[in-house]
Amino acid sequence: MLRKPTVEDGFKKGLASAVHESSARAAEGALINRILSGHKESFMELIRPHQRTVYATVFALLANKQDAEDVAQDAFLKALARLNQFRKESSFGTWLIQIAINEARMRNRKQWHIPMLSLTDDKDDGKAYVPKDFEDWREIPSTALERAEIRETLVKALGSLAQRYREAFVLRDIHDLSISETSAILGISPGAVKTRLRRARLMLRDILAPGLGHDGRLGWASKEVRKPWE
Amino acid sequence: MGISCEEVWRDVSDYIDGDLDPMQRAALDQHFAECRQCTALLNGTRNVIDLYRDQRVLAPPDGFQERLYQRLGETRKPSRHSFLAWTLTAAATVPLVLALFSARRLIVPAHNTQSPGSGPDARQVPETVAISQDQDDKFYHVAGCSHLHGKPKFLPVGEAIREGYSPCPVCIVKRKPAKKG
Repeated sequence: MLRKPTVEDGFKKGLASAVHESSARAAEGALINRILSGHKESFMELIRPHQRTVYATVFALLANKQDAEDVAQDAFLKALARLNQFRKESSFGTWLIQIAINEARMRNRKQWHIPMLSLTDDKDDGKAYVPKDFEDWREIPSTALERAEIRETLVKALGSLAQRYREAFVLRDIHDLSISETSAILGISPGAVKTRLRRARLMLRDILAPGLGHDGRLGWASKEVRKPWE
Repeated sequence: MGISCEEVWRDVSDYIDGDLDPMQRAALDQHFAECRQCTALLNGTRNVIDLYRDQRVLAPPDGFQERLYQRLGETRKPSRHSFLAWTLTAAATVPLVLALFSARRLIVPAHNTQSPGSGPDARQVPETVAISQDQDDKFYHVAGCSHLHGKPKFLPVGEAIREGYSPCPVCIVKRKPAKKG
């Protein structure tokens, strides 16, 4: 019979996690010192655990595979060039994501045909967002992600959000960073992170609700649906 | 219902993150138990988050790591890169130097007064030159040239050219231009 977790269990788990994180940071620091002393080949080892994260970040922000690969490579090269500026106040991974976001922002600015068209409300964050009523939301099973068109639909939906919502959603919901880490990377208050995250989540649900799960295509909400509270 | 749907929309994100105090959470739980629409909103939002957390959605393409390492490898070998840059610079510089040299050869004579025929620069040649009267020498010389043999005959340079003499390659052609004044 399974024992119900106690407060002590939670404490032990938290302590173990902190110890693991501390030793990982120490190993990371040693590796960085080695690279800075001239062993640049160790950089590959340093970035290996972060490759997916960096690529996912820029892909989510650019919504274009080729651009994402170029920008991800640029981000790693910049990290190597600026490694001596890494202050170790945050983890290397967090610092790397910050570089990746800046590179993606620069790419968006450089592309003359950008700004990417935002199909979502990009007005004041503080204004209350009214979700659309899709009562018949049917759960999309993770097995649906085996289909490339479903994955593309999700990328397209994310790409249709204004950049500030995409950034908050990617860091918090995709990379599972804390509110304070997200806040530090984006340079905004924790409250602003929460607001942008809420809007991003609700907007994505609104975008995906009408079609996805039925035929896999993105069905943009085109008509107002009666709201039960009206 | 204790709270309105609008309050649920405002707090549903914090509810999902477990970021509400127990009383707020209980109020939302009660609302969800009674409101089908807000429950659909909650489930749909959770479903969206779960889908995006799946690593397949934003996965790197095949060969991403190899291409990344290749690019990093290229930048880690500055000597090869520098050699390539040096070679390209040299390759671009050589034709430029040659072009400048050719241009100088074309431009400089155009500003000089040419002697009749294909004679040398007038500034290099004195008005009177010397030819050999008794030697088979088809060159005209500056007086005192070591290649002038036999009995010299002095005559104007124009006349020497008309008679078929060519400038001596030692004393006339290689002679540095005389400075005016």
